[in-house]
Amino acid sequence: MIQLSYLDYLAVEGKSFLHRLSAGWKIVGMLVVLSGIVILRNLFGLSLLYGILLGLFFACRLPLRIFSLTLYPLVFAILFIFISGFQIHFILLVFLKVLSGSTGVVLLLGTTPYPSIFVALDKLLPSIFVTALFLTYRSIFILLKVLEETQHALYLRGGLQWNHPWRSLNNISNAFGHLIIRGIDASEKMYESMMLRGFKNKIHYKGE
Amino acid sequence: MEEPMSHIHLPDGVLPVWLWASGFIIAILIGFILFRFAKKEVLAKKLPLLGMMAAVMVLGASVEIVPIAYHVNLMVISGILLGPSLIFLATFVVNVILALFGHGGITVIGLNTLTLSIEGILGYLFFRLFWKISKRLTPAAFAATFLALCLSTFSMIGVVGLGVSHYEELIHKDGGHGIFEFKLLKEESDPHEEGKERGEANFRRFIAIVLPLGFLGWILEGIITTLILRYIHRLRPDLLRREIKAS
Repeated sequence: MIQLSYLDYLAVEGKSFLHRLSAGWKIVGMLVVLSGIVILRNLFGLSLLYGILLGLFFACRLPLRIFSLTLYPLVFAILFIFISGFQIHFILLVFLKVLSGSTGVVLLLGTTPYPSIFVALDKLLPSIFVTALFLTYRSIFILLKVLEETQHALYLRGGLQWNHPWRSLNNISNAFGHLIIRGIDASEKMYESMMLRGFKNKIHYKGE
Repeated sequence: MEEPMSHIHLPDGVLPVWLWASGFIIAILIGFILFRFAKKEVLAKKLPLLGMMAAVMVLGASVEIVPIAYHVNLMVISGILLGPSLIFLATFVVNVILALFGHGGITVIGLNTLTLSIEGILGYLFFRLFWKISKRLTPAAFAATFLALCLSTFSMIGVVGLGVSHYEELIHKDGGHGIFEFKLLKEESDPHEEGKERGEANFRRFIAIVLPLGFLGWILEGIITTLILRYIHRLRPDLLRREIKAS
């Protein structure tokens, strides 16, 4: 999640053909990728899909640092392979589905600024839901800053250590408690400023 | 260990279409009913708080406690602070954002919302009940979190269990030849019976892995939630009382 701001930076600053493509088309593309993941049940088809996505990833010149994000979901897929009784075909099938999905999503986020995604989603989903998504997205950045400050305080109090599990749990809980209280305070201020700017259940995006 | 095992970290395309589509339909129906009967002014007033709590949950899921390789999901605490109807929308939002970062597929957002909402809503209800009965915050918070996580894990296992025949179909598409052959006891057997037994055994294996990990997760999440609630109660007791009074 710490890489969120970096992804946002890449999406805004990038100049590739995918960066220039409209958010609507990229969301349609993501839906096509998802349909492929759901429908395809053979290794060749899924390998081809993953190969295309990999090709697009490198064609957009997204940094390798971001590529590690596409591998992260494999951690969760490992649990699921126990169901299969370690069938190699099933494992490859699941891994290719996971990698195709995550690469597609990272491609979308790495080439499209979030506000553009929200504008496109606003046409399809209820505005209250998109507003909640937008506020969550904004709140993540506010809380990341609080978390950064809290981390310093956490280290000064001993941080997280194997040999002191209770103290570590106490420290992490206090950090989250602090984060929640600061978050609630910030949300109250956010609501007041939104009301002053004429908020009525919907956020209007630039150009609307 | 990662999470308390109540979140379905399944990739897209593994669960049968009818299952994840049903998850979406039920989640949308519940969301529609909640919005229909919610007061628009109250909802608008609570949206920034909802966004903030959803962001806390997203951050909780992404900050790993290094020595024990675990991350919290803070669903129960959010349920207690937001109340049962808002926690549903918050869960939906959290799942959409987490799916965009690979924590579960996009198609399972509906199912994840349902199972995680169970955790938030039950956590809220149990906490209110236990706090009212015991008058003590610590046991009420721990018991509410432990029970809510336990029930939501079982609901997740139930959801995964509904797709067993579909997984078998995917597995046997390759002819059923795996890396390991488990044929130590049987010399010759009916292939149909064998497949049936193996299907059952594999789902049992899944449960055997999920439950012990889940149990550790329930305890850890219970302790962390209790400590956080104690911290909040010490500094801002009004936040906990407000929801109790509002109900």
